[in-house]
Amino acid sequence: MASFATMDVASIQAGLKAGEFSAREVAEDALARVEAADKQVHAFLEVTPELALAAADKVDAARAAGTLDACGPLAGVPVAFKDNMNLAGTHTTCASRMLENYVSPYTATCVQRVLDAGALPLGKLNMDEFAFGSSTETSAFGTTGNPWDLSRVPGGSSGGSAAAVAAGMCTVTLGSDTGGSIRQPGCFCGVVAVKPTYGVVSRYGVVAFGSSLDQVGPFARTVRDAALTMNALAGRDPLDCTSQHVTCDFTANLDKGVDGMRIGVVPEFMNARGLQPEVKAKIEEVVAKLEGMGARIEEVALPNVHAAISAYYVLGPCEAFSNLARFDSVRYGYCDPGHKDLGGQYEASRSRGFGPEARRRIMLGSYLLSSGVYDKYYYPAQQVRTLITRDYAQAYEKVDCILAPAAPRTAFKFGEISEPAEMYLSDMYTISINIAGNGGMNMPVGLGAQSGLPVGAQLIGPAFKDENMLRVAAALETVYGAAPVAPDFAPAKAGE
Amino acid sequence: MAQHLTEKDVRRIAEYARIGLTDEELVQMTVDLNNVIDTLKPITEFDLEGVEPTFHPIGDLSNVMREDVEVAGFSQKVALSNAPKQMDGCFLIPSILGEGGDR
Repeated sequence: MASFATMDVASIQAGLKAGEFSAREVAEDALARVEAADKQVHAFLEVTPELALAAADKVDAARAAGTLDACGPLAGVPVAFKDNMNLAGTHTTCASRMLENYVSPYTATCVQRVLDAGALPLGKLNMDEFAFGSSTETSAFGTTGNPWDLSRVPGGSSGGSAAAVAAGMCTVTLGSDTGGSIRQPGCFCGVVAVKPTYGVVSRYGVVAFGSSLDQVGPFARTVRDAALTMNALAGRDPLDCTSQHVTCDFTANLDKGVDGMRIGVVPEFMNARGLQPEVKAKIEEVVAKLEGMGARIEEVALPNVHAAISAYYVLGPCEAFSNLARFDSVRYGYCDPGHKDLGGQYEASRSRGFGPEARRRIMLGSYLLSSGVYDKYYYPAQQVRTLITRDYAQAYEKVDCILAPAAPRTAFKFGEISEPAEMYLSDMYTISINIAGNGGMNMPVGLGAQSGLPVGAQLIGPAFKDENMLRVAAALETVYGAAPVAPDFAPAKAGE
Repeated sequence: MAQHLTEKDVRRIAEYARIGLTDEELVQMTVDLNNVIDTLKPITEFDLEGVEPTFHPIGDLSNVMREDVEVAGFSQKVALSNAPKQMDGCFLIPSILGEGGDR
Protein backbone atom coordinates (compact mmCIF):
# COMPACT_ATOMS: atom_id res chain seq x y z
CA MET A 1 0.00 0.00 0.00
CA ALA A 2 1.27 3.46 -0.91
CA SER A 3 1.41 6.13 1.78
CA PHE A 4 -1.80 8.08 2.22
CA ALA A 5 0.34 11.21 1.88
CA THR A 6 0.61 10.78 -1.87
CA MET A 7 -2.84 9.33 -2.52
CA ASP A 8 -5.54 11.24 -4.32
CA VAL A 9 -9.19 11.26 -3.30
CA ALA A 10 -10.17 8.45 -5.67
CA SER A 11 -7.50 6.06 -4.41
CA ILE A 12 -8.34 6.77 -0.76
CA GLN A 13 -11.97 6.02 -1.47
CA ALA A 14 -11.17 2.92 -3.52
CA GLY A 15 -9.07 1.60 -0.63
CA LEU A 16 -11.82 2.32 1.88
CA LYS A 17 -14.38 0.63 -0.29
CA ALA A 18 -12.22 -2.44 -0.88
CA GLY A 19 -11.51 -2.71 2.85
CA GLU A 20 -7.75 -2.27 2.37
CA PHE A 21 -7.68 0.27 5.17
CA SER A 22 -10.06 2.15 7.42
CA ALA A 23 -10.72 5.87 7.63
CA ARG A 24 -9.26 5.76 11.13
CA GLU A 25 -5.99 4.45 9.68
CA VAL A 26 -6.00 7.30 7.16
CA ALA A 27 -6.59 9.84 9.94
CA GLU A 28 -3.94 8.33 12.20
CA ASP A 29 -1.39 8.21 9.39
CA ALA A 30 -2.12 11.82 8.40
CA LEU A 31 -1.89 12.99 12.02
CA ALA A 32 1.43 11.15 12.41
CA ARG A 33 2.73 12.87 9.27
CA VAL A 34 1.64 16.24 10.60
CA GLU A 35 3.39 15.43 13.88
CA ALA A 36 6.61 14.57 12.03
CA ALA A 37 6.69 16.99 9.09
CA ASP A 38 5.18 20.03 10.72
CA LYS A 39 8.10 20.36 13.12
CA GLN A 40 10.01 21.60 10.07
CA VAL A 41 7.27 23.16 7.94
CA HIS A 42 5.05 24.80 10.58
CA ALA A 43 1.99 24.89 8.36
CA PHE A 44 -0.41 24.22 11.26
CA LEU A 45 -1.48 26.63 13.96
CA GLU A 46 -3.77 24.05 15.59
CA VAL A 47 -4.09 20.31 15.13
CA THR A 48 -7.47 18.72 15.85
CA PRO A 49 -6.95 14.96 16.34
CA GLU A 50 -10.28 14.47 18.16
CA LEU A 51 -12.24 16.00 15.31
CA ALA A 52 -10.31 14.03 12.68
CA LEU A 53 -10.75 10.71 14.47
CA ALA A 54 -14.43 11.34 15.19
CA ALA A 55 -15.02 12.10 11.51
CA ALA A 56 -13.06 8.98 10.55
CA ASP A 57 -15.14 6.82 12.88
CA LYS A 58 -18.28 8.13 11.21
CA VAL A 59 -16.93 7.13 7.82
CA ASP A 60 -15.92 3.71 9.15
CA ALA A 61 -19.37 3.20 10.65
CA ALA A 62 -20.84 3.91 7.24
CA ARG A 63 -18.41 1.45 5.65
CA ALA A 64 -19.53 -1.20 8.10
CA ALA A 65 -23.16 -0.43 7.33
CA GLY A 66 -22.50 -0.49 3.59
CA THR A 67 -23.45 3.17 3.15
CA LEU A 68 -20.01 4.61 2.35
CA ASP A 69 -21.31 6.17 -0.86
CA ALA A 70 -23.73 8.27 1.17
CA CYS A 71 -20.83 9.75 3.16
CA GLY A 72 -20.03 12.25 0.47
CA PRO A 73 -17.44 12.88 -2.23
CA LEU A 74 -14.61 13.62 0.22
CA ALA A 75 -15.24 10.69 2.59
CA GLY A 76 -12.06 9.74 4.42
CA VAL A 77 -9.97 12.57 2.91
CA PRO A 78 -7.52 14.42 5.24
CA VAL A 79 -8.17 18.15 5.00
CA ALA A 80 -7.29 21.34 6.87
CA PHE A 81 -8.46 24.94 6.81
CA LYS A 82 -6.85 28.34 6.63
CA ASP A 83 -7.05 29.89 10.08
CA ASN A 84 -9.44 32.64 8.96
CA MET A 85 -12.21 30.03 8.66
CA ASN A 86 -14.42 29.34 11.64
CA LEU A 87 -14.73 25.75 12.79
CA ALA A 88 -16.77 25.49 15.97
CA GLY A 89 -14.64 24.74 19.01
CA THR A 90 -11.30 25.53 17.35
CA HIS A 91 -9.25 28.70 17.57
CA THR A 92 -9.65 30.99 14.59
CA THR A 93 -6.76 33.39 14.97
CA CYS A 94 -6.18 34.83 11.48
CA ALA A 95 -2.55 34.43 12.63
CA SER A 96 -3.05 37.57 14.72
CA ARG A 97 -2.51 38.42 18.38
CA MET A 98 -5.87 40.14 18.04
CA LEU A 99 -7.63 36.76 17.87
CA GLU A 100 -5.10 34.60 19.72
CA ASN A 101 -7.67 33.41 22.27
CA TYR A 102 -10.77 33.50 20.08
CA VAL A 103 -12.68 30.22 19.97
CA SER A 104 -15.15 29.84 17.11
CA PRO A 105 -18.73 29.61 18.33
CA TYR A 106 -19.87 28.46 14.87
CA THR A 107 -18.66 26.91 11.62
CA ALA A 108 -18.09 28.63 8.27
CA THR A 109 -20.26 27.37 5.42
CA CYS A 110 -17.24 26.35 3.29
CA VAL A 111 -15.82 24.34 6.20
CA GLN A 112 -19.20 22.76 6.94
CA ARG A 113 -19.65 21.71 3.32
CA VAL A 114 -16.27 19.98 3.25
CA LEU A 115 -17.09 18.24 6.55
CA ASP A 116 -20.53 17.27 5.25
CA ALA A 117 -18.74 15.69 2.28
CA GLY A 118 -17.07 13.28 4.72
CA ALA A 119 -13.60 14.86 5.02
CA LEU A 120 -11.34 14.39 8.07
CA PRO A 121 -10.38 17.78 9.59
CA LEU A 122 -6.75 17.78 10.74
CA GLY A 123 -6.64 21.38 11.88
CA LYS A 124 -6.08 25.03 11.07
CA LEU A 125 -3.35 26.49 8.89
CA ASN A 126 -0.93 29.39 9.11
CA MET A 127 -1.35 32.51 7.01
CA ASP A 128 -0.29 36.13 6.78
CA GLU A 129 -1.96 38.08 9.56
CA PHE A 130 -5.56 38.73 8.47
CA ALA A 131 -4.38 37.60 4.99
CA PHE A 132 -2.31 40.78 4.56
CA GLY A 133 0.78 39.53 2.81
CA SER A 134 2.31 37.36 0.13
CA SER A 135 4.76 35.24 2.11
CA THR A 136 3.09 34.16 5.40
CA GLU A 137 5.89 36.12 7.12
CA THR A 138 3.42 38.51 8.75
CA SER A 139 1.87 35.71 10.85
CA ALA A 140 2.07 36.56 14.54
CA PHE A 141 2.78 32.91 15.30
CA GLY A 142 5.90 32.23 13.25
CA THR A 143 6.67 31.63 9.60
CA THR A 144 5.88 28.58 7.47
CA GLY A 145 8.65 26.94 5.46
CA ASN A 146 8.31 26.08 1.80
CA PRO A 147 8.50 22.26 1.69
CA TRP A 148 10.66 22.51 -1.47
CA ASP A 149 13.28 24.59 0.35
CA LEU A 150 12.72 25.40 4.00
CA SER A 151 14.82 28.57 3.74
CA ARG A 152 12.19 29.98 1.39
CA VAL A 153 8.69 31.31 1.92
CA PRO A 154 5.63 29.27 0.89
CA GLY A 155 3.99 32.37 -0.55
CA GLY A 156 0.90 33.86 0.97
CA SER A 157 -1.36 34.70 2.37
CA SER A 158 -2.60 31.07 2.36
CA GLY A 159 0.97 29.79 2.86
CA GLY A 160 0.02 27.10 5.37
CA SER A 161 -2.69 25.74 3.07
CA ALA A 162 -0.22 25.37 0.18
CA ALA A 163 2.62 23.98 2.28
CA ALA A 164 0.43 21.37 4.01
CA VAL A 165 -0.51 19.88 0.62
CA ALA A 166 3.02 20.15 -0.81
CA ALA A 167 4.46 18.35 2.23
CA GLY A 168 1.91 15.53 1.93
CA MET A 169 0.25 16.31 5.25
CA CYS A 170 -3.18 16.87 3.71
CA THR A 171 -4.88 15.73 0.52
CA VAL A 172 -6.95 18.90 0.25
CA THR A 173 -6.88 22.24 2.08
CA LEU A 174 -8.92 25.40 1.82
CA GLY A 175 -7.56 28.92 1.44
CA SER A 176 -8.91 32.33 0.60
CA ASP A 177 -7.82 34.70 -2.16
CA THR A 178 -8.28 38.47 -2.15
CA GLY A 179 -5.48 39.42 -4.54
CA GLY A 180 -3.68 36.13 -5.19
CA SER A 181 -3.57 34.49 -1.77
CA ILE A 182 -4.54 31.06 -3.12
CA ARG A 183 -2.77 31.09 -6.49
CA GLN A 184 0.59 32.61 -5.53
CA PRO A 185 1.30 30.22 -2.62
CA GLY A 186 -0.01 27.38 -4.82
CA CYS A 187 2.60 28.48 -7.36
CA PHE A 188 5.47 28.77 -4.85
CA CYS A 189 4.70 25.34 -3.33
CA GLY A 190 3.90 23.59 -6.62
CA VAL A 191 0.30 22.56 -5.97
CA VAL A 192 -3.03 22.94 -7.77
CA ALA A 193 -4.75 26.01 -6.30
CA VAL A 194 -8.11 27.36 -7.41
CA LYS A 195 -9.66 30.78 -6.86
CA PRO A 196 -13.20 30.35 -8.16
CA THR A 197 -15.26 33.12 -9.69
CA TYR A 198 -16.46 35.62 -7.08
CA GLY A 199 -19.83 34.33 -5.87
CA VAL A 200 -19.23 30.60 -6.40
CA VAL A 201 -18.34 29.85 -2.77
CA SER A 202 -19.99 31.27 0.35
CA ARG A 203 -17.75 33.36 2.60
CA TYR A 204 -20.02 33.09 5.63
CA GLY A 205 -17.79 32.42 8.63
CA VAL A 206 -14.58 33.38 6.83
CA VAL A 207 -13.05 36.45 8.47
CA ALA A 208 -13.58 39.25 5.95
CA PHE A 209 -10.69 41.18 4.38
CA GLY A 210 -11.89 42.75 1.12
CA SER A 211 -15.53 41.87 0.78
CA SER A 212 -15.81 42.70 -2.94
CA LEU A 213 -12.67 40.62 -3.65
CA ASP A 214 -12.51 37.67 -1.21
CA GLN A 215 -13.17 34.17 -2.48
CA VAL A 216 -12.56 30.71 -0.96
CA GLY A 217 -11.04 27.83 -2.90
CA PRO A 218 -9.19 24.52 -2.67
CA PHE A 219 -5.56 23.35 -2.79
CA ALA A 220 -4.83 19.80 -3.96
CA ARG A 221 -2.21 17.76 -5.77
CA THR A 222 -4.49 16.79 -8.64
CA VAL A 223 -6.92 18.80 -10.73
CA ARG A 224 -9.64 16.25 -10.11
CA ASP A 225 -9.28 16.52 -6.34
CA ALA A 226 -9.57 20.29 -6.62
CA ALA A 227 -12.64 19.94 -8.87
CA LEU A 228 -14.27 17.44 -6.48
CA THR A 229 -13.75 19.89 -3.64
CA MET A 230 -15.23 22.66 -5.77
CA ASN A 231 -18.32 20.50 -6.21
CA ALA A 232 -18.65 20.28 -2.43
CA LEU A 233 -18.00 24.00 -1.88
CA ALA A 234 -19.98 25.70 -4.61
CA GLY A 235 -23.46 27.07 -4.47
CA ARG A 236 -25.91 29.38 -2.86
CA ASP A 237 -25.78 29.93 0.87
CA PRO A 238 -28.60 31.98 2.40
CA LEU A 239 -26.03 33.29 4.89
CA ASP A 240 -23.89 34.98 2.20
CA CYS A 241 -25.92 37.16 -0.13
CA THR A 242 -23.10 37.25 -2.70
CA SER A 243 -23.14 33.47 -3.16
CA GLN A 244 -24.80 32.32 -6.35
CA HIS A 245 -26.76 29.31 -7.47
CA VAL A 246 -24.08 27.11 -9.04
CA THR A 247 -25.07 23.65 -10.12
CA CYS A 248 -22.32 22.68 -12.56
CA ASP A 249 -20.20 19.57 -12.06
CA PHE A 250 -16.64 20.91 -12.00
CA THR A 251 -15.27 17.47 -12.91
CA ALA A 252 -17.42 17.12 -16.03
CA ASN A 253 -14.90 18.51 -18.54
CA LEU A 254 -11.66 17.20 -17.11
CA ASP A 255 -11.13 14.48 -19.68
CA LYS A 256 -12.15 16.49 -22.73
CA GLY A 257 -8.70 17.81 -23.59
CA VAL A 258 -7.98 21.18 -25.16
CA ASP A 259 -8.42 20.23 -28.82
CA GLY A 260 -10.28 23.13 -30.42
CA MET A 261 -10.18 25.30 -27.31
CA ARG A 262 -9.11 28.90 -27.81
CA ILE A 263 -6.50 29.94 -25.27
CA GLY A 264 -5.36 33.52 -24.86
CA VAL A 265 -1.86 34.78 -24.19
CA VAL A 266 -1.45 38.37 -23.00
CA PRO A 267 1.59 40.30 -24.32
CA GLU A 268 1.30 42.78 -21.41
CA PHE A 269 1.83 39.86 -19.04
CA MET A 270 4.57 38.08 -20.96
CA ASN A 271 6.65 41.21 -21.53
CA ALA A 272 6.18 42.67 -18.07
CA ARG A 273 9.22 43.99 -16.26
CA GLY A 274 10.03 41.73 -13.34
CA LEU A 275 9.07 38.45 -15.00
CA GLN A 276 11.93 36.00 -14.30
CA PRO A 277 13.39 34.40 -17.45
CA GLU A 278 12.92 30.85 -16.09
CA VAL A 279 9.24 31.53 -15.47
CA LYS A 280 8.79 33.11 -18.90
CA ALA A 281 10.54 30.14 -20.54
CA LYS A 282 8.22 27.69 -18.72
CA ILE A 283 5.08 29.56 -19.74
CA GLU A 284 6.28 29.61 -23.36
CA GLU A 285 6.83 25.86 -23.08
CA VAL A 286 3.27 25.47 -21.77
CA VAL A 287 1.97 27.45 -24.76
CA ALA A 288 3.76 25.04 -27.08
CA LYS A 289 2.39 21.99 -25.25
CA LEU A 290 -1.16 23.31 -25.41
CA GLU A 291 -0.76 24.06 -29.09
CA GLY A 292 0.58 20.53 -29.55
CA MET A 293 -2.60 19.16 -27.95
CA GLY A 294 -4.76 21.04 -30.43
CA ALA A 295 -5.51 24.30 -28.64
CA ARG A 296 -5.64 27.48 -30.70
CA ILE A 297 -3.41 30.11 -29.12
CA GLU A 298 -4.48 33.71 -29.62
CA GLU A 299 -2.97 36.95 -28.42
CA VAL A 300 -5.42 39.01 -26.41
CA ALA A 301 -4.92 42.52 -25.10
CA LEU A 302 -5.72 43.63 -21.56
CA PRO A 303 -4.70 47.28 -21.95
CA ASN A 304 -5.77 48.41 -18.48
CA VAL A 305 -4.47 45.59 -16.28
CA HIS A 306 -1.25 47.48 -15.56
CA ALA A 307 -3.30 49.60 -13.17
CA ALA A 308 -4.71 46.57 -11.32
CA ILE A 309 -2.14 46.61 -8.50
CA SER A 310 -2.79 50.29 -7.86
CA ALA A 311 -6.55 49.74 -7.93
CA TYR A 312 -6.15 46.83 -5.55
CA TYR A 313 -4.08 48.81 -3.08
CA VAL A 314 -6.86 51.34 -3.02
CA LEU A 315 -9.83 48.98 -2.83
CA GLY A 316 -8.30 46.27 -0.60
CA PRO A 317 -7.19 48.58 2.23
CA CYS A 318 -10.45 50.55 2.10
CA GLU A 319 -12.48 47.38 2.50
CA ALA A 320 -10.08 46.04 5.12
CA PHE A 321 -10.35 49.29 7.05
CA SER A 322 -14.11 48.92 7.32
CA ASN A 323 -14.02 45.17 7.96
CA LEU A 324 -11.43 45.45 10.70
CA ALA A 325 -13.36 48.20 12.46
CA ARG A 326 -15.26 45.36 14.15
CA PHE A 327 -12.27 44.59 16.35
CA ASP A 328 -13.35 46.77 19.24
CA SER A 329 -11.84 44.88 22.23
CA VAL A 330 -15.35 44.54 23.64
CA ARG A 331 -17.21 41.68 21.98
CA TYR A 332 -14.19 39.49 21.17
CA GLY A 333 -10.51 39.86 20.40
CA TYR A 334 -7.60 41.32 22.31
CA CYS A 335 -8.43 43.78 25.08
CA ASP A 336 -5.55 45.79 26.48
CA PRO A 337 -5.96 45.74 30.29
CA GLY A 338 -6.21 48.58 32.75
CA HIS A 339 -7.87 51.34 30.72
CA LYS A 340 -10.25 53.73 32.42
CA ASP A 341 -11.63 55.23 29.20
CA LEU A 342 -13.08 53.39 26.22
CA GLY A 343 -11.18 55.41 23.60
CA GLY A 344 -7.86 54.55 25.22
CA GLN A 345 -8.86 50.88 25.38
CA TYR A 346 -9.74 50.90 21.67
CA GLU A 347 -6.46 52.49 20.61
CA ALA A 348 -4.21 50.38 22.80
CA SER A 349 -6.02 47.12 21.98
CA ARG A 350 -5.94 47.76 18.24
CA SER A 351 -2.33 48.94 18.18
CA ARG A 352 -1.09 45.95 20.23
CA GLY A 353 -3.50 43.39 18.76
CA PHE A 354 -2.75 44.15 15.09
CA GLY A 355 0.71 43.60 13.61
CA PRO A 356 2.59 46.16 11.49
CA GLU A 357 1.16 45.18 8.07
CA ALA A 358 -2.42 45.06 9.38
CA ARG A 359 -1.92 48.50 10.94
CA ARG A 360 -0.48 49.82 7.66
CA ARG A 361 -3.45 48.60 5.65
CA ILE A 362 -5.99 49.93 8.12
CA MET A 363 -4.22 53.29 8.13
CA LEU A 364 -4.05 53.37 4.33
CA GLY A 365 -7.77 52.60 4.07
CA SER A 366 -8.57 55.22 6.67
CA TYR A 367 -6.66 57.80 4.63
CA LEU A 368 -8.07 56.77 1.24
CA LEU A 369 -11.66 57.01 2.45
CA SER A 370 -11.20 60.41 4.01
CA SER A 371 -12.99 63.33 2.45
CA GLY A 372 -11.21 64.84 -0.57
CA VAL A 373 -8.94 61.82 -0.94
CA TYR A 374 -11.92 59.58 -1.77
CA ASP A 375 -12.41 61.38 -5.08
CA LYS A 376 -8.74 61.20 -5.96
CA TYR A 377 -8.23 57.45 -5.45
CA TYR A 378 -11.25 55.44 -4.28
CA TYR A 379 -13.85 56.49 -6.82
CA PRO A 380 -11.38 56.39 -9.78
CA ALA A 381 -10.21 52.93 -8.63
CA GLN A 382 -13.80 51.70 -8.94
CA GLN A 383 -13.94 53.20 -12.43
CA VAL A 384 -10.64 51.52 -13.34
CA ARG A 385 -12.22 48.30 -12.13
CA THR A 386 -14.87 48.79 -14.79
CA LEU A 387 -12.16 49.13 -17.44
CA ILE A 388 -10.31 46.02 -16.27
CA THR A 389 -13.53 44.00 -16.12
CA ARG A 390 -14.33 45.18 -19.64
CA ASP A 391 -10.85 44.16 -20.84
CA TYR A 392 -11.45 40.62 -19.63
CA ALA A 393 -14.97 40.48 -21.04
CA GLN A 394 -13.65 41.54 -24.46
CA ALA A 395 -10.84 38.99 -24.29
CA TYR A 396 -13.35 36.23 -23.58
CA GLU A 397 -15.18 37.06 -26.77
CA LYS A 398 -12.08 35.68 -28.50
CA VAL A 399 -10.87 32.94 -26.14
CA ASP A 400 -12.18 30.33 -23.68
CA CYS A 401 -9.36 30.67 -21.19
CA ILE A 402 -6.27 32.85 -20.65
CA LEU A 403 -2.81 31.55 -19.80
CA ALA A 404 -0.40 33.65 -17.74
CA PRO A 405 2.30 33.20 -15.14
CA ALA A 406 0.86 32.74 -11.63
CA ALA A 407 3.71 34.73 -10.14
CA PRO A 408 6.60 36.60 -11.74
CA ARG A 409 9.17 34.46 -9.94
CA THR A 410 9.71 31.32 -7.91
CA ALA A 411 9.68 31.26 -4.10
CA PHE A 412 11.96 33.82 -2.45
CA LYS A 413 14.00 33.53 0.72
CA PHE A 414 12.79 34.63 4.14
CA GLY A 415 13.49 38.32 4.60
CA GLU A 416 14.49 38.75 0.95
CA ILE A 417 11.68 41.21 0.29
CA SER A 418 11.16 43.69 3.11
CA GLU A 419 9.79 46.71 1.27
CA PRO A 420 5.95 46.52 1.29
CA ALA A 421 5.58 48.02 -2.19
CA GLU A 422 7.99 45.43 -3.62
CA MET A 423 6.19 42.58 -1.86
CA TYR A 424 2.93 43.72 -3.48
CA LEU A 425 4.48 43.08 -6.93
CA SER A 426 4.58 39.33 -6.30
CA ASP A 427 0.82 39.41 -6.89
CA MET A 428 1.11 41.32 -10.19
CA TYR A 429 -0.40 38.46 -12.21
CA THR A 430 -3.21 37.53 -9.86
CA ILE A 431 -4.68 40.80 -8.64
CA SER A 432 -6.51 41.86 -11.81
CA ILE A 433 -8.61 38.68 -11.66
CA ASN A 434 -9.96 39.59 -8.21
CA ILE A 435 -10.63 43.10 -9.46
CA ALA A 436 -12.66 41.69 -12.36
CA GLY A 437 -14.20 38.93 -10.24
CA ASN A 438 -13.58 35.99 -12.58
CA GLY A 439 -11.87 32.72 -11.71
CA GLY A 440 -8.17 31.87 -11.84
CA MET A 441 -6.05 28.93 -10.78
CA ASN A 442 -2.45 27.84 -10.42
CA MET A 443 -1.34 24.71 -12.25
CA PRO A 444 2.16 23.48 -11.40
CA VAL A 445 4.17 22.91 -14.60
CA GLY A 446 7.47 21.57 -13.34
CA LEU A 447 10.58 23.25 -11.99
CA GLY A 448 12.39 26.39 -13.08
CA ALA A 449 15.58 25.77 -15.06
CA GLN A 450 17.68 28.03 -12.82
CA SER A 451 16.13 27.76 -9.37
CA GLY A 452 14.92 24.16 -9.44
CA LEU A 453 11.76 25.41 -7.68
CA PRO A 454 8.12 24.99 -8.73
CA VAL A 455 6.79 27.24 -11.49
CA GLY A 456 3.07 27.80 -11.90
CA ALA A 457 0.93 28.50 -14.94
CA GLN A 458 -2.11 30.55 -14.17
CA LEU A 459 -5.27 29.68 -16.03
CA ILE A 460 -7.93 32.36 -16.01
CA GLY A 461 -11.51 31.69 -17.03
CA PRO A 462 -14.57 33.80 -17.76
CA ALA A 463 -16.85 34.50 -14.81
CA PHE A 464 -18.92 31.46 -13.79
CA LYS A 465 -17.12 29.25 -16.31
CA ASP A 466 -14.50 27.90 -13.94
CA GLU A 467 -14.89 24.52 -15.63
CA ASN A 468 -12.92 25.97 -18.58
CA MET A 469 -9.74 26.56 -16.61
CA LEU A 470 -10.06 23.21 -14.84
CA ARG A 471 -10.31 21.54 -18.24
CA VAL A 472 -7.09 23.18 -19.47
CA ALA A 473 -5.37 22.35 -16.18
CA ALA A 474 -6.38 18.69 -16.49
CA ALA A 475 -4.89 18.61 -20.01
CA LEU A 476 -1.64 20.08 -18.67
CA GLU A 477 -1.66 17.45 -15.93
CA THR A 478 -1.42 14.75 -18.60
CA VAL A 479 1.87 16.39 -19.67
CA TYR A 480 3.38 17.51 -16.36
CA GLY A 481 1.83 14.94 -14.06
CA ALA A 482 0.04 15.48 -10.76
CA ALA A 483 1.74 17.83 -8.31
CA PRO A 484 4.36 15.79 -6.44
CA VAL A 485 4.92 15.87 -2.71
CA ALA A 486 8.08 17.97 -2.21
CA PRO A 487 11.10 15.61 -2.39
CA ASP A 488 12.23 16.06 1.24
CA PHE A 489 8.76 15.08 2.43
CA ALA A 490 7.94 12.33 -0.03
CA PRO A 491 7.31 9.04 1.78
CA ALA A 492 10.39 6.81 1.75
CA LYS A 493 10.30 4.11 -0.92
CA ALA A 494 10.88 1.47 1.77
CA GLY A 495 7.68 2.56 3.48
CA GLU A 496 5.53 1.98 0.42
CA MET B 1 9.26 59.94 -2.94
CA ALA B 2 6.52 62.51 -2.84
CA GLN B 3 5.36 63.75 0.54
CA HIS B 4 1.64 62.98 0.42
CA LEU B 5 1.26 62.91 4.17
CA THR B 6 3.01 64.65 7.04
CA GLU B 7 3.43 63.09 10.46
CA LYS B 8 0.66 65.34 11.68
CA ASP B 9 -1.67 63.95 8.98
CA VAL B 10 -0.74 60.40 9.94
CA ARG B 11 -1.45 61.11 13.62
CA ARG B 12 -4.92 62.34 12.65
CA ILE B 13 -5.58 59.28 10.46
CA ALA B 14 -4.45 57.00 13.30
CA GLU B 15 -6.87 58.64 15.69
CA TYR B 16 -9.71 58.15 13.22
CA ALA B 17 -8.75 54.49 12.73
CA ARG B 18 -8.35 54.05 16.51
CA ILE B 19 -4.77 52.86 16.15
CA GLY B 20 -2.41 54.07 18.86
CA LEU B 21 1.07 54.87 17.52
CA THR B 22 4.21 55.71 19.48
CA ASP B 23 6.29 58.63 18.18
CA GLU B 24 8.76 56.14 16.71
CA GLU B 25 5.99 54.14 15.00
CA LEU B 26 4.55 57.36 13.65
CA VAL B 27 7.79 58.17 11.81
CA GLN B 28 7.97 54.73 10.17
CA MET B 29 4.25 54.70 9.35
CA THR B 30 4.59 58.06 7.61
CA VAL B 31 7.43 56.73 5.44
CA ASP B 32 5.54 53.51 4.63
CA LEU B 33 2.27 55.24 3.76
CA ASN B 34 4.00 57.79 1.53
CA ASN B 35 5.77 54.95 -0.30
CA VAL B 36 2.55 53.03 -0.87
CA ILE B 37 0.60 56.11 -1.95
CA ASP B 38 3.33 56.71 -4.55
CA THR B 39 2.47 53.35 -6.13
CA LEU B 40 -1.20 54.36 -6.47
CA LYS B 41 -0.30 56.98 -9.09
CA PRO B 42 -1.53 54.98 -12.12
CA ILE B 43 -5.08 55.35 -10.80
CA THR B 44 -4.84 59.11 -11.14
CA GLU B 45 -3.60 59.00 -14.73
CA PHE B 46 -6.67 57.58 -16.46
CA ASP B 47 -9.16 59.56 -18.44
CA LEU B 48 -12.27 58.29 -16.69
CA GLU B 49 -14.79 60.72 -18.10
CA GLY B 50 -18.11 58.88 -18.41
CA VAL B 51 -16.85 55.56 -16.99
CA GLU B 52 -19.29 54.10 -14.48
CA PRO B 53 -17.71 52.74 -11.29
CA THR B 54 -17.99 49.04 -10.41
CA PHE B 55 -18.43 48.80 -6.68
CA HIS B 56 -19.06 45.09 -6.77
CA PRO B 57 -18.11 42.29 -9.18
CA ILE B 58 -21.67 41.00 -9.35
CA GLY B 59 -23.43 44.03 -10.69
CA ASP B 60 -26.80 42.95 -12.00
CA LEU B 61 -28.34 41.77 -8.75
CA SER B 62 -31.51 43.10 -7.26
CA ASN B 63 -32.69 42.83 -3.70
CA VAL B 64 -34.72 39.76 -2.83
CA MET B 65 -37.04 39.07 0.07
CA ARG B 66 -37.32 35.83 1.96
CA GLU B 67 -40.11 34.42 4.05
CA ASP B 68 -40.06 35.84 7.54
CA VAL B 69 -39.34 32.59 9.32
CA GLU B 70 -37.90 32.44 12.81
CA VAL B 71 -34.54 30.68 12.99
CA ALA B 72 -32.32 30.04 15.97
CA GLY B 73 -29.43 32.47 16.49
CA PHE B 74 -26.66 32.66 19.06
CA SER B 75 -27.76 32.33 22.65
CA GLN B 76 -26.64 35.09 25.00
CA LYS B 77 -24.11 32.69 26.50
CA VAL B 78 -22.54 31.91 23.13
CA ALA B 79 -22.52 35.55 22.08
CA LEU B 80 -20.62 36.41 25.26
CA SER B 81 -18.29 33.43 25.10
CA ASN B 82 -15.38 35.42 23.60
CA ALA B 83 -15.97 38.68 25.46
CA PRO B 84 -12.81 39.90 27.19
CA LYS B 85 -14.96 41.30 30.01
CA GLN B 86 -18.57 40.71 30.88
CA MET B 87 -20.97 41.36 33.71
CA ASP B 88 -24.57 40.27 34.35
CA GLY B 89 -24.94 38.86 30.85
CA CYS B 90 -23.62 42.01 29.13
CA PHE B 91 -20.38 43.16 27.53
CA LEU B 92 -18.46 45.23 30.05
CA ILE B 93 -16.69 48.43 28.96
CA PRO B 94 -15.02 51.27 30.89
CA SER B 95 -17.41 53.99 31.99
CA ILE B 96 -18.20 56.39 29.16
CA LEU B 97 -20.00 59.03 31.23
CA GLY B 98 -18.81 61.28 34.01
CA GLU B 99 -15.50 60.99 35.83
CA GLY B 100 -12.99 58.83 34.04
CA GLY B 101 -15.21 58.86 30.97
CA ASP B 102 -14.21 58.95 27.32
CA ARG B 103 -12.37 61.97 25.93
